[in-house]
Amino acid sequence: MPQFFLNKRLILLLVSIIFLVALIGFSLKERKELTWSEQFVKDTTGFVQFLFHQPAQLVAGFFENVQDIKNTYKENKLLKARLEEYVMLEAEVQTLKKENEELRAVLDKKESLRDFIPIEATVIGRNPDRWQETVIINKGEQQGVKKDMAVITPSGLIGKIQHASQFTSTVQLLSALDRQNRISAYVQGQEGSVFGLIEGYDDKRQALLFKQIPFDAKIEKKQLVLTSGLGGIFPKGLPIGEVEEVVPDEYGLTKMAYVKPAANFYDVDDVIVVKRKIDAVQEEETK
Amino acid sequence: MKKLFLPFLAILFFVSESLFVDLWPKSIWYEHYIFAPRFLLIFILFVTVYVTQTHGMVYGLILGGLYDVVYTEILGVYLFSFPLIAYIAAKAMKWFHNHLVVTCFLSMIFVSILEFYVYGIQLFIGKTAMPFEQFYSYRLLPTLLVNALFLLFFSYPLKQWLVKIERYEREE
Repeated sequence: MPQFFLNKRLILLLVSIIFLVALIGFSLKERKELTWSEQFVKDTTGFVQFLFHQPAQLVAGFFENVQDIKNTYKENKLLKARLEEYVMLEAEVQTLKKENEELRAVLDKKESLRDFIPIEATVIGRNPDRWQETVIINKGEQQGVKKDMAVITPSGLIGKIQHASQFTSTVQLLSALDRQNRISAYVQGQEGSVFGLIEGYDDKRQALLFKQIPFDAKIEKKQLVLTSGLGGIFPKGLPIGEVEEVVPDEYGLTKMAYVKPAANFYDVDDVIVVKRKIDAVQEEETK
Repeated sequence: MKKLFLPFLAILFFVSESLFVDLWPKSIWYEHYIFAPRFLLIFILFVTVYVTQTHGMVYGLILGGLYDVVYTEILGVYLFSFPLIAYIAAKAMKWFHNHLVVTCFLSMIFVSILEFYVYGIQLFIGKTAMPFEQFYSYRLLPTLLVNALFLLFFSYPLKQWLVKIERYEREE
């Protein structure tokens, strides 16, 4: 083989550069699905990663626990104070839930944009070159995961499925959002909700950009930003974050808000892939 | 059994990068500075230097392809660069004295070359808009630091293993 390289290495280099450009072009195309060979490679390495990841996670988890024990006393005090609040909220939620169900029954409206079927998954890898923040999870199409589904942790939205193969899938984190991908969202305000789009991420401030807000809308700091479910893929009411600062847009016609994400994008272990119930119902009907 | 040792080491290094970024304690430092582990590249360079050039290039090709498919989903970037770097490294080693410190130094140079190359491609295809100063101080320097620390701790055992493997392969 080395002889071969010596004789024709320049031609080989040029051919491989052409090949490189072609391959990059191919993979940049908006692809609905990965090729079967890619899926096969991903699933196989996914299995190997899973084998290595579990013990490593255990060891890392142990050290994290030791860290946690240090803070236990302080946290315990805080939690006790909040426990009473929680009981009151719980009672309120119960009555509201019941009322909602009754009203829905009256209206004969069974599905809502809010309902979803959770698919629980574990992170088995992360993109080490860190140009695009993506993580790999151990659930794929076989378990019902599809492209573009929302991915959440208990604290809030963290991203969406970039590609799903048979047994693993890739999650694109919100911090890696590119300009074509927008999320329809709204701000929960005192006087009704204000709708807008989450477009992009500010690396320096570590905040999401919430754009296209009407100029006369009243938005204040600390207000919650949630998914609106109008984009067609995400369910309604997944928490995204809270408003940090509101500024006028580049052209001064609309406003833009910096939104501090509710979930931590960096410390992701277990996630939930969210499948809208409405879509599941429609799928069954078409079958 | 001994034949499987090199592929096993390759898999270990391939998985280690992803484990490293995933399980690294998530402090402010992690969120602020972007460091990329390039252990796989270091492994390929060491294989090139201490086993053979052919081994290095073949492993570079396979692992680069895997890296593209599994992690980045932009095909071709690492598939192209890993074997090329292995080739250049093999040619460069002819000029230098074969010593562990020289190999480590060469690895650091190639890590920065790879960083620049990937940065160039990312800029070119419009996946990033990071200005050069930011790339330099928030990405390149932390990356070099992390990989230098890795070399400090693991270069000697890695060399010992690879030399053993090479001896075995020659006897075959």
